[in-house]
Order: sequence, then C-alpha cells, then structure tokens
Amino acid sequence: MRARDIAIQVPTVAVGDSVTRTVRVMALGRLPGLIVVDERRRPRMVVPGTQILRMLVPRSYQEDPALARTVDEPHADLFWRELGELTIGDFLHDQDFRPVTVREDATLLEAAALMARRRTPLVVVVDRGGTMTGAVTLDRLLGSLALSAPQE
Amino acid sequence: MSATLALAIFVTAFFFIATEKADKVKVVLIAAGAMAAMKLIPGAEVFFSEHEGIDWNVIFLLLGMMIIVGIIKQTGVFDYLAIWAAKRSRGRPYRLMVMLLAITAVASPFLDNVTTIMLVAPVTVVVCNRLQIPVQPYLIAEVLASNIGGAATLIGDPPNIIIGSRAGLSFNDFLVHLTPIVVIICVAFVLLAWVLFRKSFHYNPDRVAEVMALQERRAITDPALLARCLVVLALVMLGFGLHSVLHIEPSIVALLGAGVMILVARTDINDVLGEVEWPTLVFFMGLFVMVGGLVHTGVIETAGSWAVEAVGDNFFGAATALLFGSAVLGAFFDNIPYTATMAPIVEGLAAEAPDAATGQALWWAFALGADFSGNGTAVAASANVVAIGIAARSGHRISFWEFTRYGITVTLLTTFMAWVYVYLRYFA
Repeated sequence: MRARDIAIQVPTVAVGDSVTRTVRVMALGRLPGLIVVDERRRPRMVVPGTQILRMLVPRSYQEDPALARTVDEPHADLFWRELGELTIGDFLHDQDFRPVTVREDATLLEAAALMARRRTPLVVVVDRGGTMTGAVTLDRLLGSLALSAPQE
Repeated sequence: MSATLALAIFVTAFFFIATEKADKVKVVLIAAGAMAAMKLIPGAEVFFSEHEGIDWNVIFLLLGMMIIVGIIKQTGVFDYLAIWAAKRSRGRPYRLMVMLLAITAVASPFLDNVTTIMLVAPVTVVVCNRLQIPVQPYLIAEVLASNIGGAATLIGDPPNIIIGSRAGLSFNDFLVHLTPIVVIICVAFVLLAWVLFRKSFHYNPDRVAEVMALQERRAITDPALLARCLVVLALVMLGFGLHSVLHIEPSIVALLGAGVMILVARTDINDVLGEVEWPTLVFFMGLFVMVGGLVHTGVIETAGSWAVEAVGDNFFGAATALLFGSAVLGAFFDNIPYTATMAPIVEGLAAEAPDAATGQALWWAFALGADFSGNGTAVAASANVVAIGIAARSGHRISFWEFTRYGITVTLLTTFMAWVYVYLRYFA
C-alpha cells in the first residue's frame, strides 16, 4: 500500500486563524493534530495535538505551576479564552513545527518511520508540486497495517 | 595592527549585539574565537587572567544565584505575595500598582531583574485580566521599578556584578553607597507612576470579586520547603554581608548557598540545572574574552589614557560624564556589554583619582548610570524584552515606543537624582 491509498481528507487551518478556532476544528474533526497550510494549500507545519496545548495554555501557567494552582475552578475551565484573538502565526516564531510530509507514492513504512522520527500522529501527503492532497493519521496507519497483516 | 584588528572585531560584534541582527551568544563566541585564533589574546589569559580573561567570579556568582532563585521560585511565594497584594488593593488601580511595584522593588535587589519580571509579570496579567484593566501600564511600571531596585545591591543587576568584581567592591559597599539613593528614587518613582499612568487607571468595582476568587494559598504547597529556602537565602545574604570579614568571595558564597539550597530543597539536580540560563553565562564568557582582547592589544589603555587626559583633575566632571554618558549609551546598547567594555577604562580613571574615596565615587556614578540606562529604551535591558514578550503572548502588545516614552522620562529623572546624590555625597 502507498500513502495515497490510506490518505484521508482532513480540515486544515491557516496561519491567520485564531488558536481558539483551530481547537474547535480539531475537536469537531476528532483529529490527532492540525495541519497549517498557506494560501496555495502547501503545508507550512504539522502540530501534534499535545503541542496544541502548548499554544492553548498561557505560557505563564506552563512555566509556573504555582500560578496555575491559584486559579479557581470556574476560571480554570475557561483558561483558553484568555488567548483572545491570538493566531497560530503568533506562535510560529516560538515553536519548531516544520511540515511533516510524504509523497503520494510513499510506502506505509516510510510514513510510519517519519511519524516515529518526528513524534507526530499526523503526516501530510503531498503531490509533486508540494500541494497537500490528503493526510495519514496514526489511527488510519495502524488500522491499515493491522488489516494488511496475515491472519494469525 | 593587532589593536586595529581587535577593535574591528569588537566593533563588528557590538554592532550585531546592539542591533540584534544575530543571536548575541553566537556573536560573542565568534568574536571571542576570532580574537583567540588571531592571537589577539593568549589562551592562558582567556582562562587564567582575572582582568584580561574570563572573570570567573562573575560567572560563578551568576550561576550560584540562578540556582538559588530557580529553587525559590518553585515555592510559589511570589504568586502568593502578588495575589495577596492584589486582593488588598480591592481592585483600586493605583493602589494595585503601588503594591506590585513594592513587591518588585523589594525583590529585585536580591534576584536578577529578568527573574523578578518572570515571577511578577504573569500574575500581574492574571490580575489585570480579571479586573478588565489594561495590563501594559503595570508591566511597564514593574520593569522600570525592577531596573531601579536592582541597582541597590551587588547582585541586583548584572552591571553591578561586573563592577563589583572589577573594582573590588563588596556587597556592603553597595549597601552603603547605592541602597540609600535607590530607596529614595524608588519612592519618587512610585509617585511619578501616578502621573505617568493616571489616564489608564480605571476602577471596575464590579470586577473585584473576580480577583477575590483567586486562591493565593494554593500557590504554596510546601510551607516547610519555603521556610527552609528562605533561611538559606537569608544565610547567603549574611554571607555576602560578611564576605570581607570571612574573606570568602561572593561567588563562593553563592555557590555554597546554591549547594545548600539543593540539599534542603531535595529537588532533582537536572531540574535545578534546567533553571540555569546557560546562554547568558556563555554570553558573559565570550564578552570577557572580547574585552580581554581589547585590553591585551592596548586599545583600552589608549582609551583610558585619553579619558584621563580629558578629565584632568576635574573628577566631578568625570563622574557626571560617566553617569549621563552611561545612561545614554547603555540605553541604546545592551547595558551588560557596555559595562564590561567600560569597566577597564573606569578602572584606569579611578586609579588616577587623588584619593580612594574619589576613585570609588567614579565607580558609583558609573554603576548608577549603567543600571538606570536599562530603563532608557525597550531593548536596553533583558528584563524589558522579557516583559514585552510576556505581554505579547498574553495578547497585550507593548510597542517599542510605548515602552520607550515612559522609559526615557524615568531614566532622565533617576539619572538626574543620582547625579545630585553623587555631587552631594562625594564632591560637595
């Protein structure tokens, strides 16, 4: 099997989108991460779900657990609204999220190795021009590997 | 020829540091490497000459204090104090600012300014967000207070650490000569803050309950740990105060304190070392090598001779020039490399003074100018950059000019007050 055989269409976000919107996209699409594309649908970065939290949780709470403890329960449920209209682009310079891509004809081993190496549950599938044609998720990859294995 | 070469490397490196066109740590390492490779400074001097190579007293004093502060900040005591103060202010904007400034000004002489801001600024953002008042005036005022307060002690501001080591000035010398004027200036700044920021003071009584909901007691999870850490910190301060009696260098006091702190806190050594700002230490090392190159090739001696000739016997004029010159130059360049470069020149000037007290007066003028220059512009000190970064990440942008227009006013006032102090105390 090739990457194009198991690739699925997933919603993407742009650099100018607010972080709060991207969270909704991820939650509604039940995605393990997010793909940020430019205006020509070329992937700019892939952000694993756990790393979305690094954008979502204000840095002061990440760096200072004592401050996080002082926040009362009602506000603690709403901490992510403090981000207001901050966009994905506002975090680009702070983080090292490069695009994680495979060509359409990449084997599942190539895709799996890339996921393992880059610790990401999401890989973008691109055509020869570098435009995104789909994505391979960890779920989809493991499912395909399990189904293709000989029956025990 | 070697002097010209050393000066060319130094000026090029300084250009990149001042304009932030490249990572400053990389810049100083490349410049230091170039100087060493071209034999503008011998390898033996790099490592083993206190005045022409790396000043290990400064490096290890910084290292020790970074470890101590790294452990103390985990206790949550600053979050507790800041929220406690916010609650006591009952949401009154100026009262809130005064209380936060008091915490900042009291902490900054004992912690480095970057750490002080990293501790106070995040909780300020939380409190201001809950009161729905602008964050920017509070953060700017805290940075200004931190840079002023840091001038009070040997360990409060990196320029003081460099000056203390170069001039052989003790912790107590700083307490006796700088703390009094810093306390006076802090009080003046608190009053000035009302004038500067009064238009942004909006009282929202209906938001006070939001602040009162914060649970400051939850910040401190281990009161026994906090007590142990405060005892060690008090012993370190005592050690600094007695170092001329005990004949133990401040760097050794800080390292011993860091060791004891690690033992009493029982924290993982890797966590502790993670709190050390290694790039800052490497930056200082590279900087010392760069300045060492200038000293070794005679550039500093030439500049010093020129300065001595220009001063003649007018040492009050020299103190005035050092104070205002440092305040202006340090505001446009990072005040740390500025201080490291100027320190050997001031040393030459002080040596020409008719008596030790006049020589020391030059050092105090230099220290006050270099410290207060940190308020001059948004990029004059690391704490300013850190605060602006915290503000941006929380959605409250502070522009270069928004900071600088307040910074210039405060720098002018503080430098003028320091000048009057230097005149009255040492030259009147």
